[in-house]
Amino acid sequence: GDSWGIFTFLCAALCNLPALPALNCTEELGAGQSIQKTYDLTRYLEHQLRTLAGTYLNYLGPPFNEPDFNPPRLARAERVPSATVDLDLWRGLTDNARLAANYRAYSRLLCYLRALDGQAGTAELRHRLGHFCSSLQGLVLSIAGKMDDFWLLKELQTWLWRSAKDFNRLKKKVPPAVVTLRLEARGF
Amino acid sequence: MFSGWNWVAHGFYLLLNICTFEVSGGLVQSCGHIIPESPVLALGSNFTALCILNESCLDFGNIYANQIIWKIKNKVVPKEQYREINRTVSSVTFNDTSSLATPLTCNILADGQIEQNIYGIAVTIGLPPEKPKNLSCIVHQVSKLTYPMTCTWNPGRHTFLDTHFRLKYRWPQENFPDCIPKDVNNSCTIADVQFFVNLEVWVEAANALGKAESDPLVLDPIEIVKPLPPHNLSVNSGILPTVLKLSWENRISGAVMKLKFNIRYRTIGDTNWMQVPPEDTASPRTSFSVQGLRPYTEYVFSIRCMKEDGVGYWSDWSEEKTGITTEDKPSKGPPIWRIVDASRSPASWTLHLMWKALEPFEANGVILQYEVTVRAKSSLSSPPEKYNVNTTNLTLKLPNGTYEVTVIARNRVGASPPSVLLIPASNSKAPVKNVRTLPKDGKLWVGWTAPSSYVLKYVIEWCLVSNSSDCIIEWQNEPGNVQGTYLKGDIKPFKCYLITVYPLYADGQGSGQSVKAYLQQDRPSKGPTVQTKKVGKAEAVLTWNHLTVDEQNGFIRSYTIFYKTVDGNETAVTVDPSKTEYTLSSLTSDTLYTVRMMAYTDEGGRSGPDFTFTTQKFGKGEIEAIVVPVCLAFLLIVLLGVLFCFNKRDLIKKHIWPIVPDPSKSNIAQWSPQVPAKHNFSSKDQMYPEGSFTDVSVVEIEADDKKSFSEQDLKPFDLLKKEKSTSEGHSSGIGGSSCMSSPRQSVSDSDEGETTQNTSSTVQYSTVVLNGYRDQTPVQVFSRSESTQPLLDSEERSEDHAGGGDSTTQRQQYFKQNGGQDETNTDRPCFERTKQIISANEGDLVGFAQLQISSQSSQPLGLGLEKNTQEAALPDGVQTNTEGQTMRPETVEGNPPSADEMPKSYLPQTVRQGGYMPQ
Repeated sequence: GDSWGIFTFLCAALCNLPALPALNCTEELGAGQSIQKTYDLTRYLEHQLRTLAGTYLNYLGPPFNEPDFNPPRLARAERVPSATVDLDLWRGLTDNARLAANYRAYSRLLCYLRALDGQAGTAELRHRLGHFCSSLQGLVLSIAGKMDDFWLLKELQTWLWRSAKDFNRLKKKVPPAVVTLRLEARGF
Repeated sequence: MFSGWNWVAHGFYLLLNICTFEVSGGLVQSCGHIIPESPVLALGSNFTALCILNESCLDFGNIYANQIIWKIKNKVVPKEQYREINRTVSSVTFNDTSSLATPLTCNILADGQIEQNIYGIAVTIGLPPEKPKNLSCIVHQVSKLTYPMTCTWNPGRHTFLDTHFRLKYRWPQENFPDCIPKDVNNSCTIADVQFFVNLEVWVEAANALGKAESDPLVLDPIEIVKPLPPHNLSVNSGILPTVLKLSWENRISGAVMKLKFNIRYRTIGDTNWMQVPPEDTASPRTSFSVQGLRPYTEYVFSIRCMKEDGVGYWSDWSEEKTGITTEDKPSKGPPIWRIVDASRSPASWTLHLMWKALEPFEANGVILQYEVTVRAKSSLSSPPEKYNVNTTNLTLKLPNGTYEVTVIARNRVGASPPSVLLIPASNSKAPVKNVRTLPKDGKLWVGWTAPSSYVLKYVIEWCLVSNSSDCIIEWQNEPGNVQGTYLKGDIKPFKCYLITVYPLYADGQGSGQSVKAYLQQDRPSKGPTVQTKKVGKAEAVLTWNHLTVDEQNGFIRSYTIFYKTVDGNETAVTVDPSKTEYTLSSLTSDTLYTVRMMAYTDEGGRSGPDFTFTTQKFGKGEIEAIVVPVCLAFLLIVLLGVLFCFNKRDLIKKHIWPIVPDPSKSNIAQWSPQVPAKHNFSSKDQMYPEGSFTDVSVVEIEADDKKSFSEQDLKPFDLLKKEKSTSEGHSSGIGGSSCMSSPRQSVSDSDEGETTQNTSSTVQYSTVVLNGYRDQTPVQVFSRSESTQPLLDSEERSEDHAGGGDSTTQRQQYFKQNGGQDETNTDRPCFERTKQIISANEGDLVGFAQLQISSQSSQPLGLGLEKNTQEAALPDGVQTNTEGQTMRPETVEGNPPSADEMPKSYLPQTVRQGGYMPQ
């Protein structure tokens, strides 16, 4: 997603800051790898689903395995988050919104998928479905983990900023003479 | 109950033990127990146990905690480790659990003597688990979608306790069920892992004494995959003869991981792999064209893969696949050489052209044929001769001259560059020098010194020299810039090779320089067989044949001859190997010598068979030197003896051979009235003067002798006569006279025979009167009777005296036989009879011949009657005849002395000495 692209850009910018030479490029690479890994995972899931769907539809048999078959959507299917959103509209959304939509969709899809698991007829299909579910869960967790990490850092930063302000205010409340007096009292 | 026990304990220790057992088993309520029950203790830690007695037992048996004795197995624990906590509780403390063992028992000394068991516990001692180390994981791809992950770790030290290991793994927000190893404690396989999500993996080890966890391993399983190798590898030949195209299928999806590859290949028969440069195959693909291969060569390929970025593990190598590159034109012409045979006729050659089949890497395909072109250099006008052959040799008959031979090898694709060989009319160019060989590393190296001018190339010919096979020439080419090479062939050790080096120039060739060589020498396989050619008294000429080439096994450097007598020391003589003869000198005569011979190569010698000979006793000419003088001396002695005898013959005769008086010359002859007639007709009789025989008594003695001869010795003589039935002459003086008459004649013709019969014993002589033939006057002769038998033969006598009769009948038969013979031999019977009569001293033929003749003339015997009468009718002829006869003794005088005895015994007595008077 674009949000990750921005995140990456930020990291790259940080990495290139002359004031922060300690942040070397290996860490930047690691960050890139993380996004690359999620990208690879989505590709892997896509690849898995292709074979899985083909196998499952074949298991269902005609007319479901016919390429142009388009059955009506039932109420339950309505609850499945639809990806049939206009491409321009989707691109018009913010990273935040898209990330949230991604996470929400995968989380719900995973639940339905797990329900599907029990219905799968053959052991091979069940195995593939189970593997796919695990992988999808990995994706959900991966996205969630990254968001969690982000908010962890964000909150931490906010708290630190807030704490710094608070301590700064407290520092101003305490008069310096008192401190001196106390020192004198101890010293003598 | 306790009192009962106590009572029993006093008497039966065995029963006590059973009770203790029961207590331990808890079947019966015991008097006490130990805390803790079945402890598991860490090795080296300290441990305290308590034995608590029941109150009920205290009441019955006055048993208190101070009476407690702790025991490990049967060993009493020292009292210092005890502590009496109160009346019913005793504790024992061990500072180190390593001194503990099972069971630990609490006992009591009842009544101060009998030890009784209260309780026992089993103590287990072990170690807490160590932290597992060196955790590592690998994902083995087993199928297109199955990726189990196997993690291994080091479980640490042995704990002596039941320790469980668990492989734990989780995502940040998700835990997975633990992987529990089966049968092992250091690895576990997770059946299915998800890629692209980091996984935290660690190992937990736990036992009764504790729990330990390894350091966690965080990894994305995609980074530790060992993929399956590509499969369905196929090799296809491309358009180019140096390229093969490989195709394969990957068994891991590009969506899972992108792959890079390694491709290795080798030729069939080669064991070393070559590898396609890895950078050429570092990207995902399912095919690759391998270039730079040799044409018409079979290659073996194999491939492997791993994650493109090099993270993870290489797959195993795939199964091997072979492919053959297409053919190409032969890269070079075949090496060519020739053998020129000029021996058949002086004007033409038999030219054996031969060339070597190209090596596979040169042939680049299947050679279909060779094109040979022979061009005569001398006559440029004549067109070159072309031959297409399938073999690698060609034999041509050509007139002498210089030729240029070209050979081209052709395969399906095309022709090779031509190989050219110039065959000059004569090898007039400079040869190489100093050809030498050296065995090196099991191969034979040949070196030479190059001639001064530029050499195009060298040809090295060699062949195995053997008796059993012809020298089959092998050869090889070497470039003109080398001065030594290894022979490329199967050079066998212990075999002689004849190696020849020819330099080839652009415009001719040099004559070959040869050397003989062995790759490796050995002792000869046998020694020379030595023989003597001539053996003398002190020397012997030994001869032998050279060993054959096959027997030599190396260069024969020398021969050594060993010879010895039976008991003497062996003497060795070293002989030059070129010789086949040697003379041993200073030998002992008449001695048995044993000689053998060794042939030596550089590696040693081998002895031939022993040969024995005996030296001669005498040297050459020694025997002659001895024998010839001995013979000469003998001859001389004989000659001297003969001469002596000759000189003293009268004396000898007197002693050995006394004079026998001739009865015909006795005085009795004078009694006969026909004496004058006799005188008229016989010159012989005339020689005997009347009255010369006076001594009658001597005649009687003779008669006795005669009788003894005739009766006793006739038989043997008859046998003798039969054996020597022909003309052997025997006579004696006595016989000679008897020859003149025959008994039969005297019997048949004499009227006075009857009177003589009666007086046979005393009268030995009778007068035989022969009737003259026709008108001629019969010759009257005195004849001596042979025997004392009655002169008239009678049946009585034959009956009375078989022996005598036999002799006479034999005689008669004999006479008859002789009568049938040739007329000229009329005197023969007389001779034969003489032989019968004569004594052992047989006379000489000559002497007897004289007698015969005299008897012929004087006595017309019965058998030769007609002739004699004819002769008698011609007195003149008889006269001459007798004269001739009488002359003969004189002529025969020159014969050996013995021959003269006869006439001497008669004639001299009558002629010279006038009968017997002097005696």
